[in-house]
Amino acid sequence: METAWLALLGLLLAGYFVLGGYDYGAQMLHPFLGDTRAERGSGRETGRSPALEAIAPFFLGNEVWLVAFAGVLFGAFPHLEGSLLPGLYPLIVAILAGLVLGNAAVQLRGRARGARGRRCWDALIVFGGALPALCWGCVLGLLLHGVPRRPDGTFHIGPGDVLTPFVLACGVTTALLFAAHGAAFVALRSAPELAAVARRRGAGLLRAAAAMGALPLLLTLFGAGAAMTNRMTSAVLAVLLAAALAGAWWWLTRGHHVRAFTATCCATALPVLLVGAGHYPYVLISPAGTGLTLGEAVTDDATLKILSVFGVVVIPVILAYQTWSWWAFRGRTGRRHPRYF
Amino acid sequence: MSAVDLARLQFAATTGIHWLFVILTMGLVPLVALMHTRAVFTRDPARRAVRERMTRFWGQLYVINYAVGIVTGLVMEFQFGLSWSGLSKFAGNVFGAPLALETLIAFFAESTFLGMWIFGWGRLHRGVHVTLIWLVALTAYASGFWILIANGFMQHPVGYAVRDGAAYLTDFAALLTNSSALVALAHITLAALTTGGVFLLGISAWHFARGTEETELFRGSLRLGTWVSMLASFFVVVIGQMQMPVIERTQPMKYAVLTDSGVAEVQRRLVAQHGPGDYVPPEGWIHLSMNTMSIIGNTVSTLTLVAVVLLWKDRLVRRRPMAYLMTAMIPFTFVASVGGWVVREVGRQPWLVYGRLTVEDALSHVSRSSLVFSCALFIAIFLALAATNWTLITRFAVRGPDATQLGATEPLPDDLPGSPGGGADDKQPVPAF
Ligand code: HDD
Ligand code: HEM
Ligand code: HEM
Repeated sequence: METAWLALLGLLLAGYFVLGGYDYGAQMLHPFLGDTRAERGSGRETGRSPALEAIAPFFLGNEVWLVAFAGVLFGAFPHLEGSLLPGLYPLIVAILAGLVLGNAAVQLRGRARGARGRRCWDALIVFGGALPALCWGCVLGLLLHGVPRRPDGTFHIGPGDVLTPFVLACGVTTALLFAAHGAAFVALRSAPELAAVARRRGAGLLRAAAAMGALPLLLTLFGAGAAMTNRMTSAVLAVLLAAALAGAWWWLTRGHHVRAFTATCCATALPVLLVGAGHYPYVLISPAGTGLTLGEAVTDDATLKILSVFGVVVIPVILAYQTWSWWAFRGRTGRRHPRYF
Repeated sequence: MSAVDLARLQFAATTGIHWLFVILTMGLVPLVALMHTRAVFTRDPARRAVRERMTRFWGQLYVINYAVGIVTGLVMEFQFGLSWSGLSKFAGNVFGAPLALETLIAFFAESTFLGMWIFGWGRLHRGVHVTLIWLVALTAYASGFWILIANGFMQHPVGYAVRDGAAYLTDFAALLTNSSALVALAHITLAALTTGGVFLLGISAWHFARGTEETELFRGSLRLGTWVSMLASFFVVVIGQMQMPVIERTQPMKYAVLTDSGVAEVQRRLVAQHGPGDYVPPEGWIHLSMNTMSIIGNTVSTLTLVAVVLLWKDRLVRRRPMAYLMTAMIPFTFVASVGGWVVREVGRQPWLVYGRLTVEDALSHVSRSSLVFSCALFIAIFLALAATNWTLITRFAVRGPDATQLGATEPLPDDLPGSPGGGADDKQPVPAF
């Protein structure tokens, strides 16, 4: 049962990476995927942002995956949360600050009175996409590499732990990956002209992400990177990740939007799987290779049973209505859509 | 300030600000849902158009507020782990369950459905669309329920047993029927409805005082707001009194401070029970907040009763001072409810989990310097958000229904008579249907 809850936790985090990932990507890219009509020289600034319109109906439903992740982390793995969050304090605070600003900016941008106010919100939107993406990448890097745990189970990261080539490279790779993912989503959901622009940007970003991603891989091979518990599984996952990146690039350059987006979805979800499956049965390791095991992190049996009773009912329902919302808004964006953000 | 004080300040300030958004969300969403339902079931096209505009106008104010409420909520979710890891060590087995269920049951649905409601104008079947807003309302209250179950456990722990210094859940039903949580939930629901009702009442009255042309729209809102706030504010006072016996039973010290009798005696008893220490919470704060809440509660209750009588033949809004008085009530409901929380939370000191875990023991091992930084950062961001939120709400409330963006599509070039004359004021009058 603990493993099932770990899988659920992984599902929520992976769901957040996939869904939140394209939000952040679209946020980062939105000034570069501008209003195509304005570019054509009608001369009038409309304040529209097609990239944001593409993510708009899903935006609120996407961000909540993170909330659910945090909730389940606290409910089912209180001991992991109690050591993870204070340990990663600076990174978590940065992520939250970025999220808060970016989230508010996306929702309030449309309320701005003039072009000036809108530009302010625009800057915040980019910032609020880039900072969480970068920091989540660093968190992944740290989890892969192992954290400096003390004997009493607590740990603290300092600048020395984050500013290592491996962790930083993971951060930058993730940010690039999210941006590419966002581009693939915009390509999928926008009118043809914009889709073409998004495709070009996305392909470029994927190349950059692959190039950057080679660095952590090399570092790991030379022993200065990730310290995986399950070497084989991790290697397989890493190969899959590379394949997903390559596939995304291949399909994107050839204009197969659905396949390209599927591939970037896999590419954003796989790092989570890598942390989970690569370290199993540990949920948190130190570079020495030992760490907090699943059994130590999980909540008491009685609580887990109650949570499971609810979970069995609630989780399929959640998946059903989220799918319904994707289905209801599956069309390409156009000007006859209610636009609000 | 010590690390504990900083963590407290951070928690209190962030929850307090979060609450300012939440109370309006919880107060407005049932009213918006009601308006939307009425619009959907109106046959006469002209009246239906008015009611639909009414829904979109108030709905937009609600959505602006919700946007900021969510992002502050995001931070809240991480606060327990960030600063109070002692809480998850001691009570994680019990306390975590309601929080996890809150996110899975309530927030997921609330956010997804609200997203669909915002973008569903003219795209979804009317019946489905109106069901969505009711689901949002339901889940907003569901999240209030679960968070109060968690909070109720801190106020009056039940349904658990302590083994090796950690609490284990033994009786889930007892946790869910905690009197301290349920009475609070009733009081909060009514407080929220009071706030929402006064909000409607105040803004509509203001528009009348300014000689609005949308009389039909604002008359409807005025009536709804007046009735809701009158009923809710009456019962908020009643339930407020009903909390006292619960407090007397569960938290003798808070009761002693509130009634100003026998504090020293309770202190002696608690020392005998829990060992030496100071068990008296800051009395000045509690008295001040309690008095603020009661005075505002009774005043609002009286004024809205008068307002209901004056609704007859629009007397309420014929004279400006009376109308402006209604508008002036809006901020006070928020003040009262923050006061209520200060009574509840400060009155619980020095305990985090009443009688079991003190606040000092629950603090994470986070360095003081990082707390100073995060505290300053979060408070600054939250205050900026609050200011933005209230500015935007005021702006859109003042502009009136013409400026509503919710549910509007961009006018196509051929819809426009000539050039729109610059995008400074982007009104979008063409609705989606
Ligand atoms: C519009 C807001 C509002 C108004 C007018 C009132 N309250 Fe209140 N009160 C709240 C909003 C609120 C609240 C924010 O919703 C609290 C905080 C925690 C809670 O359960 O409800 C609260 C808490 C609270 C508590 C503390 C409960 C505890 O410590 O467990 C008491 C004793 C009262 N209230 C009593 C009253 C009385 C006697 C009122 C009227 C005369 C009154 N309240 C009006
Ligand atoms: C939104 C309304 C709320 C307000 C305005 C509020 C206010 C406060 C205040 C003023 C304090 C500081 C007390 C002191 O140091 O003297 C505090 C602390 C705290 N509150 Fe709340 N609170 C609210 C809701 C909640 C809820 C719903 C929970 C739990 C589910 C909660 C959990 C805590 C915790 C863990 C602390 C820190 C420990 C402590 O100082 O007692 N609060 N809150
Ligand atoms: C005083 C009691 C509280 C009540 C009644 C309450 C209720 C609500 C409601 C109704 C919302 C919906 C959004 C909005 O209203 O703006 C919300 C948002 C949120 N609240 Fe609170 N809340 C309280 C305190 C807290 C605390 C202490 C936490 C920390 C665990 C928290 C976590 C959240 C989160 C994460 C969201 C965002 C949910 C989303 O993304 O949809 N809340 N809260």
